[in-house]
Amino acid sequence: MIINGVTIDETFAEAFPMRGTRVIITAQNLTWAMNSAQAFTGFATSVIACGCEAAIERTLEPSETPDGRPGVACLIFAMGGKGLAKQVETRAGQCVLTSPTSALFSGLEMDEEGKEIALGKNLRFFGDGYQISKVIDGKRYWRIPVMDGEFLTEENTGMRAAVGGGNFLILAESQPQALAACEAAVTAMKKLPNVIMPFPGGVVRSGSKVGSKYKALNASTNDAFCPTLKGQTKSELSAEVESVMEIVIDGLTEEDINKAMRAGIEAACELGAENGIRRISAGNYGGKLGPFHFHLQEIMA
Amino acid sequence: MSAFTFTLKNPPAQRVDCSPLTADKLGDKSAADIAALTLVVGNQKVRVDALFELSGDDLAEIRFEKATDKLDHIGHGMSTGTITINGDAGAYLGQFMSGGSITVNGNTHIYTACEMKGGEIKVDGNAGDFVGAARIGYKNGMTGGTVIITGNTGARTGDHMRRGMILIEGDAGDYCGSRMVSGTIAVLGQVGKHLGYAMKRGTLLLQQPPAHGLAGNFNDCGSHTLAFLPLMFASFKKLDSEFARVEPFSRVQRYAGDLAGIGMGEILVKI
Repeated sequence: MIINGVTIDETFAEAFPMRGTRVIITAQNLTWAMNSAQAFTGFATSVIACGCEAAIERTLEPSETPDGRPGVACLIFAMGGKGLAKQVETRAGQCVLTSPTSALFSGLEMDEEGKEIALGKNLRFFGDGYQISKVIDGKRYWRIPVMDGEFLTEENTGMRAAVGGGNFLILAESQPQALAACEAAVTAMKKLPNVIMPFPGGVVRSGSKVGSKYKALNASTNDAFCPTLKGQTKSELSAEVESVMEIVIDGLTEEDINKAMRAGIEAACELGAENGIRRISAGNYGGKLGPFHFHLQEIMA
Repeated sequence: MSAFTFTLKNPPAQRVDCSPLTADKLGDKSAADIAALTLVVGNQKVRVDALFELSGDDLAEIRFEKATDKLDHIGHGMSTGTITINGDAGAYLGQFMSGGSITVNGNTHIYTACEMKGGEIKVDGNAGDFVGAARIGYKNGMTGGTVIITGNTGARTGDHMRRGMILIEGDAGDYCGSRMVSGTIAVLGQVGKHLGYAMKRGTLLLQQPPAHGLAGNFNDCGSHTLAFLPLMFASFKKLDSEFARVEPFSRVQRYAGDLAGIGMGEILVKI
């Protein structure tokens, strides 16, 4: 398959099950909601060492938030429910409770399985006995007295089975060209709901393979796609390819990732061969990594 | 299907225990079965059809017509369905109810919503003393649900109340929020003396400064903009009440008390 001179490999991206939730952070203005959201989703690029993958999904108009103030929706994913609960709790405690004028709400209803995790449930103890609970419309909120007034937080947030690690690789003739294609792809993908690209700016330059020659490591550089190793290893790269970058996608459902991958690949292919974009491939570990397979050619069909 | 209607034949001289007349307890009984049920009236047992004329067939929608304040325990322990009362209702309206809704087009006697757990009661009139309270000697009043009183309430509104919401469009009587453990009472009109007497936790939200002032054991915590109030007013929007139309406010003077006890309650007065 070739789109605008860009070859779409006959391969698939391999993704794995995760648990995810959405939280809504509001504040006096968007700047302060964003300050808190950026901290909340900081150091959350990969579950390998961060414990979770999180990013800002989008900004919210006052009319879209529970308390009528400007807000930011964040998605956060982890490998299991317990891990997710711990990450949400510590991040909410250190990055939202602490942020001036902030309030924290659930952005995801409980699903049919009825799984909820704590949002402000345990932060309330910061109130040292002065915290106040209010049940409004069947949802429990906590009012925690803080130095700037009162921190309002919902008690729980819904947790869903989600999909992590959807990805595709952009192979280009130069580093600037690969990055330009990634930027175009991420811009297009950010317009879609229910997905995040957790890496810095949405792009990873150090894609990994499973395993390593060093016993202590369970992941290492994806040498088959490293352009400087073309003559040293069993390379996947042709002579013209000088730079490869990856976009990783976490989403609430398989369908959301499908749509995001399609939008991203379309945007990258729009730049086409004339801008040095040669191939689109995907991280594929022969089915060892996870049960979700996103076949590039099927997505683009 | 039309509402199952109990029309009172003659105003009873003695109090009538209407607690068997709910959708939960009548279940799938036929009109004849219901007519043959007995109710406790004073110290006697009287057949339902001796007291009421029966009509209609939909037990999920029960109506009382020509009701008087002698009809006690209407909606006792109900969990589903609606009850509409045209006329006054007696004591213990909606006691222990956990779901469904009751509408009274008239006044209610004492202990309306006594130890209520959920659902909604709307009184289009005045309510007596002890709205949402605990029975005498019991520690837990209302633990959930919403009560709307379009008129005034008597004394001790929300006595021992634990959770839920009492919304009073008119005035509240003396000792409003007394011994309150938690929950919210909002009053658009005036409040009587001894507001929040022995209140432990919970919120009394007032649109007007209390005419009798506040007791010395409530301390001023200053003026604040509280973030939960917009959420609470937003939740009022779906109610059939003046509270849905009132201009939302989040700027309040906060008073904490009753400091003779644990002092974790609050009185919020609009500023």
